[in-house]
Amino acid sequence: MRTDGISVARVMKYIALAAVIAFVVLLMLYASGSNRPFEEVSEAVAESLDTEDLTEQNSSGFKRNFGLNPADYAGVMYYSSESNILAHEVLLIRVRGEGQIRQVTEAIERRVESRKNDFEGFVPEEVQLLEEAVLSVRGSYIFLAVSPEADRYLGAFRDSL
Amino acid sequence: MLFSSITFLFLFLPVVLAVYYIVPPKAKNVVLLISSLFFYAWGEPVYVALLLLSVLFNYFCGLDIGARKDDPRRAKLSVIFAITGNLLILGFFKYHGFLMETVSAVFREDIPYRQLALPVGISFYTLQCISYVLDVYWKKAEAHKNFLCFAVYVSMFPKLIAGPVVRYIDIQGQLRRRRLSMGRIGQGSMYFIMGLAKKILIADTAGVVFEDVAATAAGNLSILTAWIGVISFAFQIYFDFSGYSDMATGLARMFGFEFRKNFDYPYTSKSVTEFWRRWHISLGTWFREYVYIPLGGNQCPVSRNIFNLMVVWALTGMWHGAAWNYIAWGVYYGVILIMEKYVWGAFMENLPKAIQHVYTGVVVLVGWVFFFSPSLGYAMRYLLAMVGAGAGLTDSKGVFILITHWLLYLLALAGSSPRGIRLINGAIGAFRSRAAQLTVGAVIFIGMFLISVAFLVTDGSDPFLYFRF
Repeated sequence: MRTDGISVARVMKYIALAAVIAFVVLLMLYASGSNRPFEEVSEAVAESLDTEDLTEQNSSGFKRNFGLNPADYAGVMYYSSESNILAHEVLLIRVRGEGQIRQVTEAIERRVESRKNDFEGFVPEEVQLLEEAVLSVRGSYIFLAVSPEADRYLGAFRDSL
Repeated sequence: MLFSSITFLFLFLPVVLAVYYIVPPKAKNVVLLISSLFFYAWGEPVYVALLLLSVLFNYFCGLDIGARKDDPRRAKLSVIFAITGNLLILGFFKYHGFLMETVSAVFREDIPYRQLALPVGISFYTLQCISYVLDVYWKKAEAHKNFLCFAVYVSMFPKLIAGPVVRYIDIQGQLRRRRLSMGRIGQGSMYFIMGLAKKILIADTAGVVFEDVAATAAGNLSILTAWIGVISFAFQIYFDFSGYSDMATGLARMFGFEFRKNFDYPYTSKSVTEFWRRWHISLGTWFREYVYIPLGGNQCPVSRNIFNLMVVWALTGMWHGAAWNYIAWGVYYGVILIMEKYVWGAFMENLPKAIQHVYTGVVVLVGWVFFFSPSLGYAMRYLLAMVGAGAGLTDSKGVFILITHWLLYLLALAGSSPRGIRLINGAIGAFRSRAAQLTVGAVIFIGMFLISVAFLVTDGSDPFLYFRF
């Protein structure tokens, strides 16, 4: 395949490499995490939370609800509603290695499913919130928000990275 | 998606295999490509795009190099461009975090940077793409004009995520035409089941023991427990990776491909040189063909050969991971192999075989300490515990592990040598009639499969260790 001495393959290889670079730039902008310390990120997220609605839970609360041991991770911040009729919760975890990401996301999915069952036929608007739960994995950070303010919390999480 | 997952075993594989065998020959590569992309997207939906772009980049690079084969200077420039492009992509995803951490450490300053997850399998498919462009440049292979065939070569799911590193020249013919039969499905299934059992029954169990030992501070380990820990890791990584390779080889055979052997009982080696001829053979072959020989191999003065070996082993270490312990691990093997070649190799050959085995075993186990350690400091503390600087000779933990896991170590020892297979073959061969042999073989392999699935259902399966590379 050759036109005017320049092969199509030659042009296409440059286009393919440019597409790889563009893809990497998009990933960096929209999917990357950062090496910021957990304390900085969690503080920024916590500041954005509506604490009338959400209460910070201790290690045993996290362990009970997600079946994970907080000591296994680089950092865990967990807020949930004290009310029995609200499904609101916000979770921020920093994993120690990529191998833990799947383990955490699966635990989160199980938790969301279990909460849906809890609220099914009881508080339909909370089931709707659980359906729209925001889960974001950015590098070593994993973020979950179940709340009418989930998008705002997600924005705070992204800005903190 | 993991080979050792219920979704793969009972949904993905049967459906893909059925469709693959039903469709006409011309559509088989389409089925293989679509299923491979789906398989990859199951765990890495975002990085499918990167995989496809890498395929496109290398496909056009191959065509460009092929088109310039009568102009060596331009062909050379083109292949340098292709290799640089591949290395930059791999380097960015795999090493930029390591580089930033190193710069931060050097300047004692926390430099903020963005982190991206490592695309699974990128280390493997990048090596395969480099082998392709170099083989086209060296005129060992023709540039593939059929994009579909080339995309299948790079992305076929049996080898996509953790190898083996299949060279293009080894399967170029099979990409167009391959033999399919029920017999090959049967043979492939046996390989696959063997690999599944290695992974689920031995590697994952040994991994639990290793994690238990590793959870204790190195300074608090007795000699016994420290050795049990590293031996458990040695069994875990061998059965994990050789199990994966067996599964990959079995799957490939079911789909009509032939992969070369990736492991050949490395723990039976009598020297470290021999160990590396038997361990991850496809990676060793890749580094020999595409780095060591182009650097001059051993057809050069001793000093240059030593340099070549050190380059190859430092790169081998770096390929495994972006951390100093992996580089130390590679350099450690580089030094040992040079010493075997030029200093004590001939002397070792004259020693009793038992001593050769012990020497190789100890060197390999020390190497695994560097490999599994999160830092060089931890590796040194662990090595010191192995020689008595920890908590004495024995402790209750070590004794407890031995009492509760003796069967695991017995199975692992048998499986690390040809004896394990000989036992199975002996049990099948004990019957004279063909029908009885087939029945016994089926019982053994179906039994292994059912036990593995039972473990899988109750305990799940850990990701393969080599996924992280």
